[in-house]
Amino acid sequence: MKDDTMLARWLNGELDEKELKAFMASPEYDTYRKIKEYSAQLTVAEADMDSLYARILDNRNKQQKKVRTLSPWLSRIAAMLVMALGITYFFYTTNTTTQLAENGQRNEFLLPDNSEVVLNAGSKAEYRSWNWEDNRKIELDGEAFFKVAKGQTFDVVTDLGTVTVVGTQFNVKARGDRFDVTCFEGKVKVTTAKNEILLLPGESIAFEKGKTLDAPAEDGAQPGWITYDTYFAAEPLANVIAEMERQYRIDIELNAQVENTYVGYIPMNDIDTALELINTNYHLKSEKAGNKIILTLE
Amino acid sequence: MKKNMLTGICEEIIFSNFFKSHAKTLRNYLLYKYGNEEQAEDVTQEAFIKLWENCANVPLEKAKSFLYTVANNTTLNQIAHQKVVLEYSKKSPGSHLDSQSPEYLMEEEQFKVKLQKAIADLSEAQRTAFLLHRIDGKKYHEIAEILGISVKAVEKRLHGALQELRKKIDNFR
Repeated sequence: MKDDTMLARWLNGELDEKELKAFMASPEYDTYRKIKEYSAQLTVAEADMDSLYARILDNRNKQQKKVRTLSPWLSRIAAMLVMALGITYFFYTTNTTTQLAENGQRNEFLLPDNSEVVLNAGSKAEYRSWNWEDNRKIELDGEAFFKVAKGQTFDVVTDLGTVTVVGTQFNVKARGDRFDVTCFEGKVKVTTAKNEILLLPGESIAFEKGKTLDAPAEDGAQPGWITYDTYFAAEPLANVIAEMERQYRIDIELNAQVENTYVGYIPMNDIDTALELINTNYHLKSEKAGNKIILTLE
Repeated sequence: MKKNMLTGICEEIIFSNFFKSHAKTLRNYLLYKYGNEEQAEDVTQEAFIKLWENCANVPLEKAKSFLYTVANNTTLNQIAHQKVVLEYSKKSPGSHLDSQSPEYLMEEEQFKVKLQKAIADLSEAQRTAFLLHRIDGKKYHEIAEILGISVKAVEKRLHGALQELRKKIDNFR
């Protein structure tokens, strides 16, 4: 092993007696001794460290001065402009679009990415159009059918849970304590406080007051209500009647106690047939009183 | 918790003391490296200015390392590296020479000149390490810190420098 540090150790006085004796006996030692002696006498031109320091301080003062030369008036204007820009930007980015469907109405509209939404009667949807493609989130109160364009995830947020999809067609109903989601095409993920479930085409999920229901799914490529043939998956009569009120824009009073839930279709463009179906199923009779319809036991 | 008063090297007294302890060595090191006095001073100035600008982010114990990192990475003017001019101190302990013969004295003078030339021909790595030890009296671990290498690497460079110097001087005959 080559010793490539011996001379450095000698220079530092680190050689042991044996090593030192051997080195001093070598022919080159005399030269090394002189190198060591004379190199210690070398000097280099001195620098003026005081003026160097002064120049450094000078530079620091210049930097501080730069900040101070902006006049107070100018900086006030600048501050106001920045604030105004900031506020404008804030409103622009948080600006929400609201879509409504009154009772007896429906509202069909497009989202910024050409996703289609059909709002059923008595429903409201809100979304931010700014930066939509990167943040497709829509808040729903009520019922809507969605045809989502391909892209990033698409979220429908309701009070009862969130539905996340990627390029699908699905129906969401969030009314009162009842939360229904039906997948017609693609994949749909439903997240509530207690559950997370993935729906495939033809599958649906229903929650009543947070509890999962075993409810039969709808057939078809889109929800029945689009063609005014509304499907109810085991819903209490009160819910059916509430929907009829929204669709027909009438008051219906139920003066009877009924237990069974309704499974099936009710037309929302033919009040007589609708009432007949209800009456037959629940053994009720209907009476008109002014603008109201009163249902009583037969 | 943020303190509003200046701490560490941002405080002028501390900065000033730090300068007094390290500026000269830095400037000398750069002089050995570039061989140009103006370049050495400019880079030294620049390194301290950068240290001041970043004083809030550099704790005192890291300041030296920061200083040398900036200095080694600063390429101000593209002045070609020149040979550093070294001189022999007039105050050298040469009393023993008075009793020697004129021939001996002349030989020693020639040796000293050969040594100067040989040092100038060393590689930058060997030269800077050697001169930091011989002129500035820096210990091996200090040189290691300045050059950003290990102590073993410093020893290798010094060993190599001494070997080169001897070879050159003995060949000058």
